[in-house]
Amino acid sequence: MTTAPMNASPLVAAAEPTRRSAARGRWLSVLRTPVGAGAGLLLLLVLLLAVFAPLLWSEQADTIDTDSVLQGASGQHWVGTDNLGRDLFLRVLVATRLSIGLALLATLIAVVVGLVLGTAPLLLGRRAGRLVVAGVDIAVAFPGLLLAIFFAVIFGVGMTGAVLAIAFAGAPAFARLTHTLAAGVAERDFVAAARIAGVGRLRLLLRHVLPNIGEPLVVNATIGAGGALLSFAGLSFLGLGVQAPSYDWGRLLQDGLSGIYIHPEAALAPGVAIVVAGLAFNLFGEAVAKGIGLTTSLSSGQAVRGAARPDREVAEVVDDGRPATDPGRAEGRTVLDVQDLSVTFPGPAGPVRPVRGVSFRIGRGEAVGVVGESGSGKSLTALAIARLVERPGEVTAERLEFMGTDVLAGTDRTHRRLLGTAFAMVFQDPMTSFNPTRRIGRQLAEVAEQHQGMSRKIALARAVDRLRAVRVPAAERRAHQYPHEFSGGMRQRAMIGMGLMGEPKLIVADEPTTALDVTVQRQVLDLLESVRTADDVALLLISHDVAVVAQVCDRVLVMYAGRVVEDLPAAELGTAARHPYTRALVATVPDMHVDLDRPLPVIPGRPVDPAHQPPGCAYAPRCPLASARCTEEDPALVDDGTGRRVACWHAGEIAADLEVPGAAPVALTMGERA
Amino acid sequence: MSELRFSDVSVRYGNRRRGMTAVDGVSLTVPDGAVVGLVGESGSGKSTLARAAVGLTPLSGGEILLDGRPLQHTSGPRPVQMVFQDPYSSLDPRMTIGDSIGEAVPRGTRAADRRREVARLLELVELDPSRAAAFPGQLSGGQRQRVALARALAAQPQVIVADEITSALDVSIQGTVLNLVRRLQAELGTSMLFISHNLAVVRYVASEIAVMYLGRIVEHGPTAEVLADPQHPYTRDLLAAVPDSTPGRPAPVAADPALAAVAAAEPADPHSPPPGCRYHPRCPIGPLVHADRDVCRTTEPSTDHRHAAACHFAPAGRTLLRVAD
Repeated sequence: MTTAPMNASPLVAAAEPTRRSAARGRWLSVLRTPVGAGAGLLLLLVLLLAVFAPLLWSEQADTIDTDSVLQGASGQHWVGTDNLGRDLFLRVLVATRLSIGLALLATLIAVVVGLVLGTAPLLLGRRAGRLVVAGVDIAVAFPGLLLAIFFAVIFGVGMTGAVLAIAFAGAPAFARLTHTLAAGVAERDFVAAARIAGVGRLRLLLRHVLPNIGEPLVVNATIGAGGALLSFAGLSFLGLGVQAPSYDWGRLLQDGLSGIYIHPEAALAPGVAIVVAGLAFNLFGEAVAKGIGLTTSLSSGQAVRGAARPDREVAEVVDDGRPATDPGRAEGRTVLDVQDLSVTFPGPAGPVRPVRGVSFRIGRGEAVGVVGESGSGKSLTALAIARLVERPGEVTAERLEFMGTDVLAGTDRTHRRLLGTAFAMVFQDPMTSFNPTRRIGRQLAEVAEQHQGMSRKIALARAVDRLRAVRVPAAERRAHQYPHEFSGGMRQRAMIGMGLMGEPKLIVADEPTTALDVTVQRQVLDLLESVRTADDVALLLISHDVAVVAQVCDRVLVMYAGRVVEDLPAAELGTAARHPYTRALVATVPDMHVDLDRPLPVIPGRPVDPAHQPPGCAYAPRCPLASARCTEEDPALVDDGTGRRVACWHAGEIAADLEVPGAAPVALTMGERA
Repeated sequence: MSELRFSDVSVRYGNRRRGMTAVDGVSLTVPDGAVVGLVGESGSGKSTLARAAVGLTPLSGGEILLDGRPLQHTSGPRPVQMVFQDPYSSLDPRMTIGDSIGEAVPRGTRAADRRREVARLLELVELDPSRAAAFPGQLSGGQRQRVALARALAAQPQVIVADEITSALDVSIQGTVLNLVRRLQAELGTSMLFISHNLAVVRYVASEIAVMYLGRIVEHGPTAEVLADPQHPYTRDLLAAVPDSTPGRPAPVAADPALAAVAAAEPADPHSPPPGCRYHPRCPIGPLVHADRDVCRTTEPSTDHRHAAACHFAPAGRTLLRVAD
């Protein structure tokens, strides 16, 4: 247990500041956008004014000069003077502090009250919490300004009343937001884990919930401050806010308005100040929200229909002359022909290629499996084929032909029809691949309406028919149900049914049964099998489960670090695999015959980070057969003449101790740490 | 470590009109120092049972006994700890793993002792103690699951409930976590309720197996016996559905249309469990295949069978399972 720590600690030390700087970098990146920079600068200016203007000019601003009463703009008085001859420009500047200060104070109170009300349900428990939530809901329904005026009457006309009024008017919305965010976090497992660990409710709130909802709250408080500023100006303008002799922008605006026809500058100057300060707060908040929102949506990484490189040099190769690396043994017509497919994402340290030169072909009705650990690029390969790789990602290939059509060349539109009808994709999580707000039948029907131009009614009839075809019981009734009313297996069937709305030639199934129970998994696999044999549909089945692939597929592609390292008949997976990775992968799956007295075999080390591909064979650091050559030269995927392909310098050699750690637990621990 | 006993435990969600009974009168004992594997499909109530054991879900009937005494959830770390399925959501992303583990160390421990305890636990789960300052985002899934295990152990639990702890992990990493569980169990003698849908995994870890279907335990016995000679048809179906790495086509769909229909039947809806034996709509030896077996539709089977199998047509056996030998 003591061998490995050395190499891990520098990693921690290095990673620690990275995290901090990542958070700082996120805020900095907000300031780098034009809106963010402008808003930030404006906000800084406003705050500086609020602090320093009264110190510098408050005396001058209060100097009464009866000789120059109600003057217009001039070189001496930039925006003129008021009815006591005081300089209005300076008064607007000096009023910044009171205006901003009061707005911030009101916001602060609103935030505190909102936080207390919003987190109360968490602290009080279910029943009392529900009362608070109901109260907040009612308060939210009241228009804010109306509430403010109402409070101003109660608390009395004046500064205190106005601050409290605006604070209490803003609090419910903030409480609602806090409650929603907190409730989301409170449902997560780590909160449950902390509860089991005996963490009290208050501590739970302070240590687990609030830090995880802090960012959106700060953003909303900033925007709220802008709102409070405007409300405050409004109240003062109405005479419900700041009272003479104090003055804020709203007050100045009111004073100036009486003479707006004579010299409008007196009213315009405070008006402009209000707008500028309000904008500064709101824009800054929005910019930050956008910056933060952007980063989270990037990290969640949902695939969006996006771009294959449009400027690709079209390699219209004639059908013959295919490279020898690809077995041309796909019987009958080729459905999918992939040559040298790569997917590249821009990374902080140069482009990252999670898929590196994948080549394979699928014949009509053939079932091909793709196995590999997570991060091996298997799902990305599927997405690239379906043209579903997200925007910064770039798909290149020497050839990517589906049904003889080059799907990389040309626009999305030209392929939509082809992919929409002849290509079906089944994702891992059928819950997220259906729109939860629409009925299943309609979602299926939409496919036919879009791609086959069917009428609504006929399309729905076909949807019911297809649901029946995928053995959804009581298809007619279930077509009218929403996705959440379907069980996991049923949703997956419906998803397959959606693929069958057209006449698919290829079904790409990305971990279709991973989220399902074994009994249901079997049903779904049986269904895929019967669909395949009934209509001669090819299947590309991507799975981390070697056993599933071995059962369903004719041929298996084993992927590691973005490359196909072995291509072999599924029947030979357990017996005749030649790549050490394939053998290790098969060995790690516990089956019903695994020896109970020995530790499970594991693959030592960790999968390769796509950003740091080693120069030689990517598997070499984990490989028991690795030699010097392996760490220097990357072996090519070579066809042995029988259609089996393998990329290994030591293909077929048997390792003396194929990663069975036996009695040495150290070998196990190394596995995770390295 | 101690014995955890579920005695006629029921958990109901929702109100009287629109609710569901997720766990329906379950009696199950996790003997001192043993690992009981709980298998069943999603919706069978196994996770609910786990959450009930740690007090995250209130019981609506029965009781849970720890060493014969009703489980009480007072302040401080609970005596039954849980490891969750998804290591990506069970660790607070804003907290270092050291803090997460330290939080579960019983209150009143001095800071230095707490730190030492965290380091010891990290070492116990085969992680470098210097990584205590790392955030979960810097760890792989397998490493996070180790941290989650360490946190459960930090509370000095009497029983650990492991809810599908390897199903979110890659196969190559699953092995390391399972090996760790086995090692810890052997070293510490932890009593454990090990929940998984993967029979091969349960077989490797557990000494006893309990099969759950729609809120009930339908079979329970020593792992080797249950797997070698399953008594309940559901257990048999579960076993048959395990994909075998020996290649070949999936078993051909049964020629008998009745059997085929049963095999393709949808999992029952826990909101409205069928009357009689809950498995009868999917049962290959039930009323849909054998027309004369109407008893399955009407009468709930007793568990007076071998492996306490809740099936009318299972061979008779001991009435009660061994009560702590």
